[in-house]
Amino acid sequence: MKKFLALFMTAVLLAGVLAGCSGGSESAGSKDKDKDVDLKVWSFTDELKKPITKFEEKNGIKVELTIVPIADYPTKLKPVLESGVGAPDVFTGEIAFLKQWVDAGYWENLSEDPYNADEIKDKYVPYVFDLGKDEDGNVRALSWQTTPGGVFYKRSIAKEVLGTDDPAEVGKMMGSMDGVFEVAEKMKEKGYSMFPDEGAIRWFAQGENPQPWVNDKNELQLTDEKIEFLDHAKTLRENSYTALAAEWSPSWFEGMDKPIKVKQDGKEKETQVFSYVLPTWGLHSVLKTNVKESAGDWAVTSGPSPYFWGGTWLGVYNKSENKELAYDFVKMMTQDDEFLTEWAKETGDVLAYNPVTNAIKDDFSSEFLGGQNNYEFFLEQAKEIEPGIVTKYDQQLDTFYGNAVQQYVDGKKSKKDAIKEFYQKAQNAYPDLKVPKN
Amino acid sequence: MKNVNKYGYFFIAPFWIIFLIFSIYPVALTFYYSFTNYTGSGVAEVVGLANYKRLFTDTYFVEAFFNTWKIWGINFILQIGLALILALIFSDMRMKLRGLAFFRSIFYLPNLITISSVALLFGILLDWQHGSLNMILLKIGLISEPINWLNEPTTAQLSVSLILTWMWFGHSFIVVMAGVSGISKDYYEAALIDGANRFQTFTKITLPLLKPILLYIMITSLIGGLQLFDLPMLITDGIGSPDGSLNTMVLYLYNQAFKYNNYGYASAVAYGLFVITLIFSAIVFKGMYGKERKQARQV
Repeated sequence: MKKFLALFMTAVLLAGVLAGCSGGSESAGSKDKDKDVDLKVWSFTDELKKPITKFEEKNGIKVELTIVPIADYPTKLKPVLESGVGAPDVFTGEIAFLKQWVDAGYWENLSEDPYNADEIKDKYVPYVFDLGKDEDGNVRALSWQTTPGGVFYKRSIAKEVLGTDDPAEVGKMMGSMDGVFEVAEKMKEKGYSMFPDEGAIRWFAQGENPQPWVNDKNELQLTDEKIEFLDHAKTLRENSYTALAAEWSPSWFEGMDKPIKVKQDGKEKETQVFSYVLPTWGLHSVLKTNVKESAGDWAVTSGPSPYFWGGTWLGVYNKSENKELAYDFVKMMTQDDEFLTEWAKETGDVLAYNPVTNAIKDDFSSEFLGGQNNYEFFLEQAKEIEPGIVTKYDQQLDTFYGNAVQQYVDGKKSKKDAIKEFYQKAQNAYPDLKVPKN
Repeated sequence: MKNVNKYGYFFIAPFWIIFLIFSIYPVALTFYYSFTNYTGSGVAEVVGLANYKRLFTDTYFVEAFFNTWKIWGINFILQIGLALILALIFSDMRMKLRGLAFFRSIFYLPNLITISSVALLFGILLDWQHGSLNMILLKIGLISEPINWLNEPTTAQLSVSLILTWMWFGHSFIVVMAGVSGISKDYYEAALIDGANRFQTFTKITLPLLKPILLYIMITSLIGGLQLFDLPMLITDGIGSPDGSLNTMVLYLYNQAFKYNNYGYASAVAYGLFVITLIFSAIVFKGMYGKERKQARQV
């Protein structure tokens, strides 16, 4: 019996080794396959799938698209770019790490020959074009889309409470934070919630004075407007203006279509959410996919200050062996009139490329938004966005500051302590920053 | 003779080559980086002991150290306690319980769920306004206001501890069960004849003979526990909210390296963690075996 067992174990081990070998030969096979691929593209969504198919058909080539989920994207891509082994020819970057990457020099300098991207500057929404530039003003990445934000609200509620559902009128009422609170108070009186949660107004935290988190002297700056934002968030909580449904939580999604239950001060009430603060893509990938009954009852308007949220840029890897073809793909994505027109009509994506948007913006009308031309609205918003305020620190500092706001709103920390902790965290994460002492 | 010996090296070569490339090299490189201000790209500048100096005065690291211990400690006590009680019930000769295989699989099941699903699941269950747990507690009248479980430092830590217990008690149970079935039935029969009660058989027979198994569970759990990372990262915002209470040592390391791009300092944190793990493993080992060795020498 023992002998048999020993024999059996050996057989199993051997099988394991053999399996390993066959696995090896398989990967060797896929390496051969790699040679057939003319262009490698990395991205964090499947958005590029269709454009790539089109690009393949047009040029009679083969493109390999690697999709890495956003959470792992920077950590997976960085070593590949550093070493150049298995690196893509074209890769996309999200706004959260865009600034870090344009300065890191992984993307080819598109301001130089033969690209001369600066010549097409005037054809783009200014802030989108500017964000793709590095510290020295060289263009490193381009984008096809612009992602300004607005406030999506329900027309029926607006009519009932505010007496009008006209986006221009509603937008005027919400032209300042005070205006927002006035509307919120009216909503509350009728049993509605202004926003799903306090986080909704973070996009208006800059107020009238948009400043980057870190200025060119490497100093962290917390503007008075941003400090004031702490109070705005607290006002929302204390007056029960929200439905306490945290962003991206199941109830946040549920609130788009039907009333949700809120428990506060020992009471439970049912309330309907009036508005969601979302950018261009929020319409297609958030609202439309989660709303059934109230489709057509929505509209979009502007909040107290213009903002943008997200966005994808793409560029050519500077160590790519196939730069010409790689730039051809970038060109198709960002400068090809025919393709972009088709793309915009198919997806509703708001483009950053003026020649196309000028031609199509007039006859856009969204059924979901009750016939409103959201395209024109967003393009107008995009013009007002300040490009200089994006820094490579934004994602982390926004998270830290969001935490501070949360602590203050929950009543766990005083304003002073919350800000102090924000400074400490910022200093800990970025030791080189000059952070105010108190 | 010499020729015969040589072939042995060929057989162990695959292991050593892989071990050198994928284990020793990164470990050594990390050690080098811990003396630099490497940011993940560009050149690494040697800064001497600056990173280690910072480590000793870093309140966030100290906080992470105690958080890790709190979360792991509560989880371990509950987990091993539960595993022991269950093992006791299932191994009791007088009870003759059936369906061990069935329960063993049921208990082990939570361990098979991927951690991201677990985090999502409990995120929904523990939701402040709309979570099932608060709904139940409110319905039966235990609480009058919904508790924001993942927004209070103590309840957040406790929640993570309990989730870990739920995930791991099945594993400990199986290991303890294996240890219990390795104990000769003769002892129990003799005890039964001598009139020992259940508690006495447990403390005088089962527990002493289970010591090596318990030590094994403790050391593996400790090493795993000090590396606690995935659940605290996924269940809140990934930087240890609320109020830094879920900031564990490895989470801190990860954030320093991959979020803030302080690779040099993160390497120093990694070595700090290594030394801490080493010390505590040694203490556990000494505590469990040290006495016995002394006694053996005296005899």
